[in-house]
Amino acid sequence: MKQTLAAALAGALFGLGLLVSGMTDTTKVQGWLDVFGDWDPTLAFVMGGALLPMAIAWRIAARRRTALLGRTIPLSPGGTSVDSPLVIGSTLFGAGWGLAGLCPGPALASLAWEVAAVWSFFSPCWRVWSPHPPPARGLNGWPRRPDPRPGRATGECNGYPCPDPSYAVSPQIDPADLPAIKAAGYSLIIDNRPDGEIPPDLHTDVIRAAAEALGLAFVANPVIGGALTMDNVATQRAAIEAASGPVFAYCASGNRSSVVWALAHAGTLPVDDLIAIPARFGYQLEHLRPTLQGLAQQG
Amino acid sequence: MFDIAWLWGLLGGLLIGSAGALYLLVNGRVMGASGIVGGLVDGSGRDSWAERAAFLAGLIALPGLAALLFGGSETHLTDNWALVIIGGLLVGLGTRLANGCTSGHGVCGISRLSLRGIVATVFYILAGGIVMVLARHVLGWI
Repeated sequence: MKQTLAAALAGALFGLGLLVSGMTDTTKVQGWLDVFGDWDPTLAFVMGGALLPMAIAWRIAARRRTALLGRTIPLSPGGTSVDSPLVIGSTLFGAGWGLAGLCPGPALASLAWEVAAVWSFFSPCWRVWSPHPPPARGLNGWPRRPDPRPGRATGECNGYPCPDPSYAVSPQIDPADLPAIKAAGYSLIIDNRPDGEIPPDLHTDVIRAAAEALGLAFVANPVIGGALTMDNVATQRAAIEAASGPVFAYCASGNRSSVVWALAHAGTLPVDDLIAIPARFGYQLEHLRPTLQGLAQQG
Repeated sequence: MFDIAWLWGLLGGLLIGSAGALYLLVNGRVMGASGIVGGLVDGSGRDSWAERAAFLAGLIALPGLAALLFGGSETHLTDNWALVIIGGLLVGLGTRLANGCTSGHGVCGISRLSLRGIVATVFYILAGGIVMVLARHVLGWI
């Protein structure tokens, strides 16, 4: 609820800023782009004004790391690689921006009085044309660690950590995410979420059918929140060991998939690593330390 | 010669930046208009639909209300429908490919000196300028 209210406030401030600055007026935008005409520098002032509070916000974010309402702040959203979709997409966007004089924000802000701006609503549907679908939500690639099991990974990686992910955890996925997961190189999907928690269109059978249609292996290992069993752990371990390539596990948030991973590796990886690796991705397993130590001692 | 419109621009810009700062520090999200709408339309933002819808509601309602109270606002949108449709489709396709627009790559990206944000901004401004000059001075469309 608080998040929804804060989002509405941010949207309202954004809209007011666009209106006050004149960015909802296409003549101002086109006047700025038209350097050979009667050049209008207003947009440069708008950009300058907007960058100032944002730059301060990023500095605060780098220190606090957690947003006021509890989320982890994405400090490097979208990664750092400059690729052709970025350049081609920005060029196409700029061309459209010049032709129509509106970019998505001002188009929405002027919707109340300029119904023609509705074009901004159907335009995002063009995502399906994108040759590079964005990776699945919350896809956290964990770096591969040296694998102590004989005959596995050590040969390929000479005992050094490989940069490619061998196990990833994710919040709930839907069938549309699967092509991106396959394209990212995963070979096995593990579903750790019981069907009772979710709407029918995301049930295990639906995801299994979609995954298998793409040639991905699929294992259902439902973990009931707060009532994880050692069977769950054994199933996860067996599935990971039998996998022919990197594994992609999901539940509601990725937490249960992290917990079963850690328990399945007790005794094969140092307890500190079992806690520290998920922690890097926001999954706190410190409370499992005694359990992990106990399992490690049992061998 | 100083134009009062520049001052309004600066003030509006500060409001836009404050909105982005609020969304980042309170909600923990990057304020990008194309991404917020895009996630709603293509279903990838299903988990956060309420937040997205609330953001859009604020974005549409407050300028609408302000325009109503303080006299109508004018967008001066061209009445050449072909231009609006082609422009809209280019904006939609381009921002989804590039994963961001003026707010996400421009305001939120440049302010943290993100290479992707800076490169995107250079390309969309260059393309916008070239198209603008072509369409207005060479072809006479606008």
